[in-house]
Amino acid sequence: MTFSAARASRFLCTVFAAGVAAGAAQAEVTVLGWPGGPEETALRAVAEAYNARPEVSGDNKVELLFFNRDGFWDKLQADLAAGSDAFDVNLLATYSIGRYAPFMEPVELSGEAQDLYGEAVLSTMQFDGRQYGVPTDLSLHFLYYRKDLIDALMADETAKARYAEISEEHLGRKLEPKDPNDWSWDDYAATALYFTQAVNPDSPTRYGTVLQMKNLLFNIMVWQSTARSEGGDWRDADGRITVNSDAFRKGLELYKMLYDAGATPRDSLSYEFAEANAAFASGQVAAMVQWNAAAADLTSAEKSPAVGEVTATVAPPAGSESRATHIHGLGLGLNKSAGNKDGAKAFLEWLSTRQAAIAYAKAGGAPALSPQAVSEIAEERPDLVQLGEYAGAFGYVMNGGASANALAVYELQAKEFTGYWSGQQDLDTALANVERGMAELLK
Amino acid sequence: MLATIRWTVFVLAAFAMNFPLIVTLATSFKSAREISTNPGLWVQAPTLSNYLTVLQVSDRLNIFLYLANSFAVAALGTLLAVALALPAAYAIARGRLGEKTLLPLIVNLRAVPLVIFAIPIYMMFQFLGLLDTRFGLGLVLTIVNIPLVLIILVNAIADVPYELDEAAMIDGVSRTGILFRILAPVCRPAIVTSLIFGFITAWNEFLFGLMLTTSKAVPVTVGASFFFAASGGGVQWGVAAAVMMVGALPPMLLGLFMYRKISGTMMAGAVKG
Amino acid sequence: MEATHRTEWTLLATPLVAFLLVCLGFPAVVNLVYSVSQISFATLRQPEITGFGNFVAVVSDTAFWRANWFSLRFGLLTALLECLFGLGLAVFLAPLFKERSWPIAILMLPLMVAPALMGLMYRLVLHEFAGPVPHYLWAWFGDSPAFLGPNSAFWTLTAVETLQWTPFAFLLFHMAYQAIPTELREAAALDGATGLARFWRIELPLMLPTAVAALLIRFIDGFRVFDNVYVLTGSGAGGSTTSLSIYIYEAFFKQGAIGKAVAASVILFAASFAVLYGLNRLARRRRR
Repeated sequence: MTFSAARASRFLCTVFAAGVAAGAAQAEVTVLGWPGGPEETALRAVAEAYNARPEVSGDNKVELLFFNRDGFWDKLQADLAAGSDAFDVNLLATYSIGRYAPFMEPVELSGEAQDLYGEAVLSTMQFDGRQYGVPTDLSLHFLYYRKDLIDALMADETAKARYAEISEEHLGRKLEPKDPNDWSWDDYAATALYFTQAVNPDSPTRYGTVLQMKNLLFNIMVWQSTARSEGGDWRDADGRITVNSDAFRKGLELYKMLYDAGATPRDSLSYEFAEANAAFASGQVAAMVQWNAAAADLTSAEKSPAVGEVTATVAPPAGSESRATHIHGLGLGLNKSAGNKDGAKAFLEWLSTRQAAIAYAKAGGAPALSPQAVSEIAEERPDLVQLGEYAGAFGYVMNGGASANALAVYELQAKEFTGYWSGQQDLDTALANVERGMAELLK
Repeated sequence: MLATIRWTVFVLAAFAMNFPLIVTLATSFKSAREISTNPGLWVQAPTLSNYLTVLQVSDRLNIFLYLANSFAVAALGTLLAVALALPAAYAIARGRLGEKTLLPLIVNLRAVPLVIFAIPIYMMFQFLGLLDTRFGLGLVLTIVNIPLVLIILVNAIADVPYELDEAAMIDGVSRTGILFRILAPVCRPAIVTSLIFGFITAWNEFLFGLMLTTSKAVPVTVGASFFFAASGGGVQWGVAAAVMMVGALPPMLLGLFMYRKISGTMMAGAVKG
Repeated sequence: MEATHRTEWTLLATPLVAFLLVCLGFPAVVNLVYSVSQISFATLRQPEITGFGNFVAVVSDTAFWRANWFSLRFGLLTALLECLFGLGLAVFLAPLFKERSWPIAILMLPLMVAPALMGLMYRLVLHEFAGPVPHYLWAWFGDSPAFLGPNSAFWTLTAVETLQWTPFAFLLFHMAYQAIPTELREAAALDGATGLARFWRIELPLMLPTAVAALLIRFIDGFRVFDNVYVLTGSGAGGSTTSLSIYIYEAFFKQGAIGKAVAASVILFAASFAVLYGLNRLARRRRR
C-alpha cells in the first residue's frame, strides 16, 4: 500500500542527508539562459559560434535551455537548492548573486576579461570577493524624453513664463526650462508638472511623466537613483542602515508629490515596465526614467509610431551630490551540481574572451565593454558606447545590493514605499519599517 | 416579450464575461504598431503574423509539444482523480465513512496554497526520476483535482434517492455493482462535470508546471511566456493574445463536446423520469 | 454484518487515501519538520529543529492577519456574487437552453482561460493608453477612473474574479435546475403557484445542496486566489492586495522564509479544517 516504515525512513535519510546521487554524466554542456528578447538571440549566436570551433569536442557542445520568464528566479532557486543537474551553466544577476552563490562555483575568466570589461563591470558578478559569473548584459536607466516638446518649450517665451509660474507654485522657486542633459531632479519635476494637463490645461500631453510604482522590486531599482544622487545609501561603511536619511526622504517625496499632483497616470501604482512603455509610446507623456532595454522599441518609428522619431535618451537627472544610475549585470556562472563541469568551465572561459564578447554584442546583446573594446563595434552599436559611458560615469550598486538578502531588501522597500506613495502610511513609518527590516536582513 | 428580455440579458452577460476574450481575439490580429496606436476593438489592418510566430516550430519553441504535454497531463490528472474519487465518494456518501474527518481533510487541500509542497515534491520527484516527465506532472495535477472532484461526486451521490440502492441490494447486486451499474449512470452529468472542471483546472495550472518541468514536459501555460516575453520584462501583447487563443482552444472544444454529452444524458434522464 | 460493511466501505475509499498518502505523505512530513525548524534554501536537507519560532513569527506578523482579512473578504464577496449571478442566469435563462446548448457554451468560455493569462490580458484591457475600456470611457465620457488605484484595486479584482468564475456557478446551478423533475413543477403549477412562488418554495429548496457546494467551492477558490491578482497588482501598494496565497508565496520564494511560509500554511490548514469540521457537524445536527 504505502511505503513500509523502514523504506520510508531510508528514503527520508537519503533525501535529507546524502543528497541525490548525481545523474549520469551528461554529454553536452547545458546552458540556462534568459528567455525572450535580445539576450536570447545573442546567446544563440555565441553558442553557435562556440560549437563551430574545431577544438570543441562533440560531447562538450553547448546546448541551450530556457525557462519561462515569469517565475524564472523562483524556479531557478528551487532547482539550485535541490541540487538539480538539469543545467551546467546558469544565469545570475547582480541583485540575486548572493542568494545563488551557495549553490554555484566560482569561475575562471580568460586573460582578456580584465581589459575587456574593467573592474566595475566584473564586480557586478562578484560575491565575497570571488568571481561567480561572466558578465553578459548590463542594465541601467536612461531618462527618455520627447525632444520635440522640450525644444518647443525652450523656444517659447510665454511657455517659459508659465513654466516658471508652475515651478514656483509647486516647488517653491522659479525655474527655467533646460536641456535634459543638464537636469536636476527639480528640473525633471518642473517639466513633469508643466506637461501635465491636471496642472497646466494647455499641456500637449496628458501627463508629464510616468512613474512605475507597482509593489515590485524592479521598480525600486528605477526609483532609488533619486535617493542615490542625493548621497543616499543602504548602509554606511560600518554597516549601519542609513535609509532613514534626507536623501531617501527627498527621493520618496518627489514621487509622492508627482503622483498626488496627477503628473503620472492615475493607475501608476500598478505600473511596471510594460505599462510605462505603453504610456510613453502613446505620445501622452513628456519624459520618464526607464530601463535601457526600452530604448530599441521607444526610438523605433516602426514599433512606436507616435514617438519613435522624437524620443531621445540621456543619463538620469542629477541630485545635489551626483548624477546616478542603478546598474546591475546579467551573467552566466557554474552550477555546483553540474554534470559536465569541465565542459562548462571551458565554455565560460571562452565566453569571457574578446572574440565572444564582440560576437555577443553584434548579435544584439548589451555587454558593458571598456571604451577601448567598444570602439571596435561603435559603428554598429552606438548605444553600447552610451551604455559603457554611463555605467562608468554614473553607475552604482547600493552597499549591500549584492548580498545574500538583497532581493528581500528590495521586496521590503517596495512594499513599504508603495504604502507611503499610496497614502496608506506616512513617510516616517515607512522609513522606520524599512530600517528595522533591513537591520534584520543585512545582519 | 419575455423572450426578448431573456436574450438581451444573455447577450449582456455573455459580452461582459467574455469581454477580455473578445479583446484578446481582436488583439491577436493586430500588429505591434497597431496595438500602440489603436486600443479599440476594431482591427484596422488585420495580420496573421502573431499566429505565425506562435505556430512556428523551432528547436526551442514548439507550441504543439506544449499542447500535447498539457493534454496528456490534464487527461491523466483528471481521469485518475475521478477514478480514485468515485469509489471514495460512494463510501463517504452512502457508508458515511470519513464524513467527519476524511472529507474535510481532503477538501482542505484545495484551500492550502500548494506552493508549500513545491520543494518537498521537487525533492521527491528528483529522487524518483519524475522531474520533467508528463507522468510526474500528471500525478501532481491529480492531487490538485481530487478535492473539487470529490465534493462534486459526494454531492451527486447524496442526491440520488437511497431507494435505488435498496432495490438493487434486494436483487443481490454487490456494492461495486451498485456503484458502477446503478449510481455511475445516474450520476453521469456530475461525472462529466467533474471531468470538465478537472480538465480545465489541470490545463490552467501554472505553478507546478513551472517548478517540475524544464523542457520535455513543459505545459502550455508555462510555454506561453516563451513566446511573448520581450526584453526587459516587457510583453509582446499581440503574440501573448495569439498564444492565449491557441492555448484556450483545446479546452473549449473539449468543453463543448463534453457539454453535449451532459445535456444529452440529462434529456434522456428527463424522458425516463 | 456491520463490520463487513465497514470493511467494504474502507476498501472503496482505500485507493484514494493510499494515493494521497504516497504522494503527500512525504511532503507533509517534510513540511511539518520545516515548520518547526530554522530553514533556508541553503539548508533544505539539514533542517535544524528549533521549536515554534516560525509560528510565533507568523501570528505576530500584522501582514499575515491583513492577508487573512483580504482573502476572507475577497472569498466571501466573490463567492456570493458568483453564486447570485450564476443562479440568476441559470434560472432566468433556462427557457433559452431548452432546445439549444450553444448559448451555454458561450457562457462557459471564460473558464477555459488560465487565470494568470486572464490577469495578463486585463493589464492590457485596463491600461489607460493601450486598453479598450479606458479608451472608450475617454472617448464617450472624457474621463476614466483609476481601476487599480489604492481604493479601487479591491473592487476591480473582485469584478475580474467574478466575471471569470460566474460561469462555474452558473453551470452547477444549471445542472441542478435541469435535474428538477418536471412533474414537481407541473404539480405546483396546478396548485396555482406563480413562477416566483414556485422558485422560492420548490425549486430553490431542491437546489439547496448545490447552492451550498457552489458557495463552498467558490469561497475556497476566492480565498486562495493567486494568479490573476499576482499578475495584475502583485501584492498591491503597501501590500494592500496580499491574499493569503500571495503572502505565503512571497514568504517562501521572495523572502526565502520557508519555515514561516510553511508555518502559515499549517495554521491555515488547521483553521480551515476546524471550520469545515464545525460546519459539517452543524449540517448533520440540522438534518436530524
